[in-house]
Order: sequence, then structure tokens, then C-alpha cells
Amino acid sequence: MSPKKVALVAGREFMAAVTNKGFVIGLLIMPVMFGVIFALMPRLMTSNSTIVRGDVAVVDPTGRVAPVLRETITPDAIRARRDRNMARALNATGVSGDVSARTRALARAVGAEFRLVERPPDVDLAAEKRWLTAPASDGQRPLALVVVKGDAVEPSASGGSYGSYDLFVPPNTDERVENELRDALREAIVSARLAARQISAAAVAVMTVVEAQPSVTVGDVERQTSTGFNQAVPFVFVGLLVFGVMIGAQTLMTSTVEEKSSRVIEVLLSAVSPLELMAGKVLGQMVVSLLVLALYVGSGVLMLSSFAMLGLLDPWLIVYLVIFFLITYFLFASVFGAIGAAVNEMREAQALVTPVMLVLMLPWLLVAPVARDPNTTMAIALSFIPPVNTLAMMIRMASTSPPPMWQVWTTIGVGLAAACFTTWMAAKIFRVGLLMYGKPPNFATLLRWARAS
Amino acid sequence: MEHAIELRDVRKTFGANVAVNAVSLAVPRGAVYGVIGPSGAGKTTCIRMIMSILFPDSGSLSVLGRASALEAKDRIGYLPEERGVYRKMRVGAFLTYLAQLKGVSRDTAAARVPDLLERVGLRGTERTPCDELSKGMLQRVQFVGAILHQPELLILDEPFSGLDPVSVRLLREEVQRAHARGATILLSTHIMAYAEEMCDHVFMIHEGRKVLDQPMAGMRRQFDPRRLLFEPLRADADVAGIAAMPDVSTVEAAAGGYTITLVEGAEPSLAVARIAALVPPARIEIARLRLEDVFIRIVAGGGGLDEAAAALRNRLQSDAAQEARV
Repeated sequence: MSPKKVALVAGREFMAAVTNKGFVIGLLIMPVMFGVIFALMPRLMTSNSTIVRGDVAVVDPTGRVAPVLRETITPDAIRARRDRNMARALNATGVSGDVSARTRALARAVGAEFRLVERPPDVDLAAEKRWLTAPASDGQRPLALVVVKGDAVEPSASGGSYGSYDLFVPPNTDERVENELRDALREAIVSARLAARQISAAAVAVMTVVEAQPSVTVGDVERQTSTGFNQAVPFVFVGLLVFGVMIGAQTLMTSTVEEKSSRVIEVLLSAVSPLELMAGKVLGQMVVSLLVLALYVGSGVLMLSSFAMLGLLDPWLIVYLVIFFLITYFLFASVFGAIGAAVNEMREAQALVTPVMLVLMLPWLLVAPVARDPNTTMAIALSFIPPVNTLAMMIRMASTSPPPMWQVWTTIGVGLAAACFTTWMAAKIFRVGLLMYGKPPNFATLLRWARAS
Repeated sequence: MEHAIELRDVRKTFGANVAVNAVSLAVPRGAVYGVIGPSGAGKTTCIRMIMSILFPDSGSLSVLGRASALEAKDRIGYLPEERGVYRKMRVGAFLTYLAQLKGVSRDTAAARVPDLLERVGLRGTERTPCDELSKGMLQRVQFVGAILHQPELLILDEPFSGLDPVSVRLLREEVQRAHARGATILLSTHIMAYAEEMCDHVFMIHEGRKVLDQPMAGMRRQFDPRRLLFEPLRADADVAGIAAMPDVSTVEAAAGGYTITLVEGAEPSLAVARIAALVPPARIEIARLRLEDVFIRIVAGGGGLDEAAAALRNRLQSDAAQEARV
């Protein structure tokens, strides 16, 4: 086998794959788009492109809500409240570190300049509602009508529940405007109620904050864990593994079928041996898949680091992802390549490929149970049975209680043996199949070819 | 001298079908060797075995002194019967890739491509994607692919099928150029006329068996056609006198004139003079050796007109007619 020829075939295979328009659009553009979004989003968000200006009419029979509301609907108060809310939400998902800069950027902001207009308690509600739908004058338009209930600050009966407010808005009101108003009203009413009982609002605010801390997984190396993140990791890793294998193996099959159906194969075989051709193609597509994985893992790492969550990811997982990818890829790529060599056109390939695809789809069924209980007998058994062993092991390693190292090495050993065996069988089918035209083969035919050659 | 190609008692079966049966062949270096026979005779199977794309069930072969073409791939140029290109690749890149696979450096290959494309009438197509070219153009591109690395041995399987006369002429010039450079050429065709004009040696195969393996020169002697084509000056001329001549065996009416068959041993040039003296001719010529006739005589056992020969002639003609339609 001439390494130079293998390299030439691999080079062509790689170039043909990456210069394909579909590939570029499907794979390169996506991470780039994520990058662009994450770079531009904060700017787009903070630019306050939509500033809503308008009047908010308040009917306040208690006389105690409106003055506070005047404070809580200023632009500064709105911004401060938004930051607090976002910090609280992120804190609940286990994000640590300084997030205020990011959260402000990510908040779905709308610039709002509300002008509070107080109405007497005995105002004609029907007339006020008509005012809401009246056209704007001197740049100010009616945005909302708030009618505070009489028992909003003090319950009518002692021990009874507090009243609330009615909110009237014109048609097609931006829901974000409504939400800002509700938040401002809530804050104003709570402040008024606390003041009525002579309780300091500032003290309550401080007292009701208990910062959620990320849990720390105790093991050889203590590392921060985060429940939401941990649940996602097995899905993401097995997804990357399957995705990478599928990209490479399927393109390999398509290009082999194309070479065969366009009859270019015979010219190629006058220059390279079938084994050189197959080796070159498998390696070329492997580089394509690795490139894709690098792009996705790279953009994932970038995303994590931009959220200051990089510490949650065990870098060894990426190393094992590559190892398991290579094993799984060689196993499946050789099968897909052999199928490509055996059939005359893509249509015939479908019948043979479907069962192989189902095997590759199996991890989606396994990922939830195996990730939740990574050390059950089933999970352990699966991680030793090719061709799903690497997939099952990837799920287990990405779970919160990784398996012992001897099991990982066993998986790798079994996987390597399976990959070698499949490649060997596939090479035989590949050699026989390349120049076979006519009746589409089935699995029995393929096995006969493998035995015959 | 060592032969460029040697087949020794080679046999290949596909299931119950014997494609090639006990064929032996020795192609001397520097020869232009024609493999001829009707379609389905076993030509492509022979060539694929020479190329080590197929392997014989029994028998042995050597190519350029090696036990298998696999060991001499880089010194062989091959134009398969089944043409194919990478449709998305540009012509120049495709040809450079093929040459690189044959061990030519990228720069050398790229430098040779424009000149060769021009010589086959495809000037300036280097940057054109293959799928924008017509079938005939692609065939010429493939031909360039077979000769780009200046092989010692050029194997062309039906190189002219489906080509227009101009392209055929261009390709024939390139084959001759390669021959002049010292390359050995083996070409298969079912169009006997091409073989007659180009080859110095023909190898005939019929139903998997070798039926003839001879230099053209020797064949012209052996299969002396003893046929004259005669067209009298006056259409109503009396040809009965010709039929009565001692040299003449038969006189048959043919399109626009007569076909005169001489008796064995007759000297055609003398017969021409005598016939011309008897009936003034508009045209009289000694019929060229036609491989088709030779082939039919051999296969049908020399009788010439029994049923098998007629069937075979029909088949050859329908092959050629099909070819003309392509």
C-alpha cells in the first residue's frame, strides 16, 4: 500500500467534501452564526432600538400606591429591576461568576419612558377607556390605565387577603411594556404594604435573598457541578459522537456510490488498489468529521467560557470524545463504505443503510436511562458490546458518576477489535463490490462476497 | 525481447458463463496491438485481467515484466470502456489528480494538461467543471487522463466508440504520437476498420476464445481476398466475357457495379489488366483486406456463407450501425 496514493485519495475526498456547497452552508455557517449572534446580541439588545414613550393613567383610591409607582417606573428603576430578575434566574440554573454584564446584555430589553398621570378616584372609567384608544397628541400616547383596588394596600377585613389592580391597555400593546408595568406595580404595591406596616422595604429585600451555590462533586478532583448542565452533557457528547460519525460515514458512502455510478472507479482502480482507495476515502472523511467536531466543540467551549461556565466541563471528556469518535467512525465508515461499493445507486443503498442507521440511533433511547443510572448492569453490559459500546461509554463518562477506568479501557479495547474486524470485512466487500453492477445486493450477498474474497 | 504483455492460458468465468477461455497472448514492446471481436466476445474481460482489476481463475499473466499490472500501475495508461469522471471536479484538477495518482508530480501534470487538452480539441476547458462537458468531450478528457503520465503501455478499451470523425482523428494522432515515443499500445475495438488502419498486429477473440493472432502484414498475405471491385464505363456493358476468363471464379452484381472473385493462385494485378482490356472500366480496384471478412472466414470455418457466418456478419454490422448512431 502506497501511503502517498492513500494521502492523495484522502486529500481529494476531503476537498470534495468541504468544497461542497451544502457542507459549507450546513456546518461552517452554523457555528459562525452562533458566533455572530453572541457577538452582536448584546449590542442589539442594549441599543434600545424600540423606545416606548407614553402616558400611564393611574386611578389610586388608596392614595399610597401612585407616589411609589412614580419611583418604580423610572427608566433607571426598570433597568435595575431587570438586572435583579435576570441574576436571580441565572442563579437558579447554577451559573456562577460575574454575570451581571452578560445578563444585562441578554435581557430582552425594551426602552420605556412612562409618564405617570394621576386621575381622581371618582373618575369616569368608561371615558378613561375611550382615552386609551384616542390618537396620540404632542408625542405622548396613552399606554395603559391602571386602576388600583381599594384594598390593595390594606386588606378590608383583618386577616383577609390583599386586593390587586386592573390593567387596561390599547390594542396591540407590546407585552414587554405590560410586563414592565406589572413589575413596577408589584414593587410599588409591595412597598406601600410594607410601609403601611412600618417595615423597611430595603431590609426585606436583603433578608429574602439566599444565593444558590453550585454543588461541588467530591472525587479525585473536586469540581463544580450544575444539575441542568450535567443533564445536558451526556446528550451533547453522544450527540456530537453520533453526528460526527454520521457526517463522515454518510459522505463516504455517497462519494463511493457516485464513483461507482459515474464509472470513474475503473480509472481509479487502474492507478490505486481497492485497499488504497478505501483507506484514502475513510481517512479523508475522518478528517472532514474531525473538522466538524472541532468546529462544534470549539464553539461550544467558546459559549461556555462566555458564560463563565467552562469550569463545569471536564476537558478529558473531549479527549475521550475524540478517541471514541475514531473507533466508532472506523467501524461505521467501513460498513457504509462497503455498502456504497456494493450498490449501483443511492436508492439501493437505503435498504442496506436503514438497519445500520437504527443502530446509530439507539443511543438516543439509551441516553436518558444510562445517564441517570450509569452503573446499572445494563449500562455496563452495553458499554462492552460493539457497536454501541463506545456510545454507551460516552454517555456514562459524561454522566455525574463516571465509570472506573478499567471499564473505559475495556470499551476502547473491544471497540478497536470490532473496528479492525469490520474494516477487514468491509475491505473485502469493497474490493468485490466496486466492479459489480446489476442486481442490488442484500446482506447475505455481502457476506458471501466477504467470505469468497 | 521481453514482452509488454503476456497472457498464458488464461481463463475467467462469471458464474456459468465462460467469458475468457484458454487465451494466450504475447504483445511485443512497441507494438500497436488490436484486440478485436464482436461485443460480448471477452475483450473487456481480457483487458480488465491485464489491468488486474479482475483476476483470472486459472492461467498466468505478466505485464511490463511484472507478475501483475498492480506492480506497474504507474507505467500503464488505461482508458476503460466505462468512462467516468468526477462530475463536480474541474477538468484540469481531475486530470492532475489522475496523473498524481500515477506518480507524476503536481506541477509536471498541471504543466502538461493545457497542451494535451488543446491537442484533443478541448483548448481552455481546464477550469470547466466536468459535468458541463458533453459525453464526447468527456471521453477525450479521459483519453488525456490515460496518456498524461506518458505511460510505457497504453491500454485503450474501445477508445473511439461514440466519437465524431474529427475527434477520432485527433485521438488517433495522439495514439500514433505515443507509439512514436516508444509506447506499446493495446486497443480493443469492435469496429474492424479502425483496427485495420491502426494496428500492426491483431488478436481476434470470439466467444472467449482466441481465433486469430497475427501481424497485419502476414494476414494480408494469408487472407488475400482475391476480390476485385469493378465498375464498367458503360452501365449496359456485357460482363459475361469476364466470367469466362480462366482467372475468374465468379462475377456478382453489387451496388454500382460488380464484385469479381478470382480463382485461388491468380495474380490480382494481372487479372486487373486483363479485365480492363476486355471491358473498359470506370473503376477497377483490388478489394482491401477486410478484417470483418477474415474474422467471418475463420469463425465460420472458411465456408464464407453458411448460416453462422451470415449471423455473425449481421451482428458485426449491427454493432457498427449502433456505433454510427451513438
